[in-house]
Amino acid sequence: MELYEVDLMVNNRAVSARIKAETTLLDFLRENNFIEVKRGCSKGDCGACTVIIDGRPVPSCMTLALQCPGKKIYTVKSLGSWDKLHPLQQAFVDHEAVQCGFCTPGMLMTAKAFLSDQPHPSREEIREAISGNLCRCTGYQKIVDAIESVGKGGEYE
Amino acid sequence: MKNFKYFRPKNLDELLAIKNELKEEARLLAGGSNLLVYIKEGSLKSGTLVDIGSLAALKGIREKDGYLEIGAAETIIDIMASPVVSEKLPFLRESLRVFANPLIRNISTVAGNIAEGSPIADTAPLLLVLNSEVVAASITGRRNIPIDDFFISLGKTEIKANEVIITIRIPIPETGRGKFVKLGLRKGTSCSVVSVAVWLIANGRGVEDIRIALGGVAPLPLRAVKTEALFRGKILNEHNIGELALEVTNEITPITDVRGGAAYRSEVSAALLSKAVRECLGMEE
Repeated sequence: MELYEVDLMVNNRAVSARIKAETTLLDFLRENNFIEVKRGCSKGDCGACTVIIDGRPVPSCMTLALQCPGKKIYTVKSLGSWDKLHPLQQAFVDHEAVQCGFCTPGMLMTAKAFLSDQPHPSREEIREAISGNLCRCTGYQKIVDAIESVGKGGEYE
Repeated sequence: MKNFKYFRPKNLDELLAIKNELKEEARLLAGGSNLLVYIKEGSLKSGTLVDIGSLAALKGIREKDGYLEIGAAETIIDIMASPVVSEKLPFLRESLRVFANPLIRNISTVAGNIAEGSPIADTAPLLLVLNSEVVAASITGRRNIPIDDFFISLGKTEIKANEVIITIRIPIPETGRGKFVKLGLRKGTSCSVVSVAVWLIANGRGVEDIRIALGGVAPLPLRAVKTEALFRGKILNEHNIGELALEVTNEITPITDVRGGAAYRSEVSAALLSKAVRECLGMEE
């Protein structure tokens, strides 16, 4: 079986590996310790594995790692840290937008990219924007509340 | 045991050469939202994954000779964001808003959506009512395939094993109004149960011309030409739209599956067609 050398930029860090042709970005990330990227359906339906590639949220299970050299990939760990949460992360905490937490990394990345494009969205626009990210706990209300509060805050970079 | 190779052609010549050499074994990868599922599920076990996602020759959205030309590797989101599309064919932009979900729209392409010959490809009814053309290329040359000839049978299209789709061409309509309505089991991320596209050229409520296409109700995406003929020349009103729309159930052959029964699909087809026509006429917004 043929292996391929690949160098990717993840959270502004170079990561190299020898991988199989069919290795998805999701597999690549998790095997290289970016386990904050969650494996849900692996078929592009649930959005749990969403990362931001060149400014756009995409399901990392639907992208080959070999398609990503030269692209800027960001996982949820690029947002904030325990000591200094990103405003979106803080909003998810404040609004109790997290229950089991499995969808949260993907949800945050979709919200991050969305607010960068559209800093002051309506609730309907927020719902549409996160419609590819499934959450089986919250019923979405609190997630929409959290994203809306950051949009309304107007301090989002 | 899976055994895949990866190849990223640097230009169109390299793409056409490897497609000619490997034929079906060259699996074109743009968005990957079909292909990577087949690999994941194990229905595809080997082949060369030919990455065309960033191939410059397949990029670009432009107006040329009265046509909107969309490169085969252009993503749904870039088509929606294109100023040319917004200006010349806002119907396309509006219709794509219900394609899959925002994440998948960031990676998927129109060419990839129709290339599988799926009866529920959401872009198929759009391309059908717009009288589009698919431009295919091989090492021996190019040809334009009218969309009416593109879908052959379930899972099969007019594209030959040594060909690739390079461009979608859509004649920019001078008159008329379009509407695409889709019923899925959920609002986002769901396959269509039934989808209906209508392009209507009307004088007041008089039908000068109409094109109707449906997805999910036959082995192929379908132009409802008999129903179109019944609509043509009629003055539409509150009553006859529903009656005429009901005629569409005579030329579709829906199946029963996990997403709905055949009888349900028939009823929904007529209801969606009626709704689409009404919206084209501004009777329902």
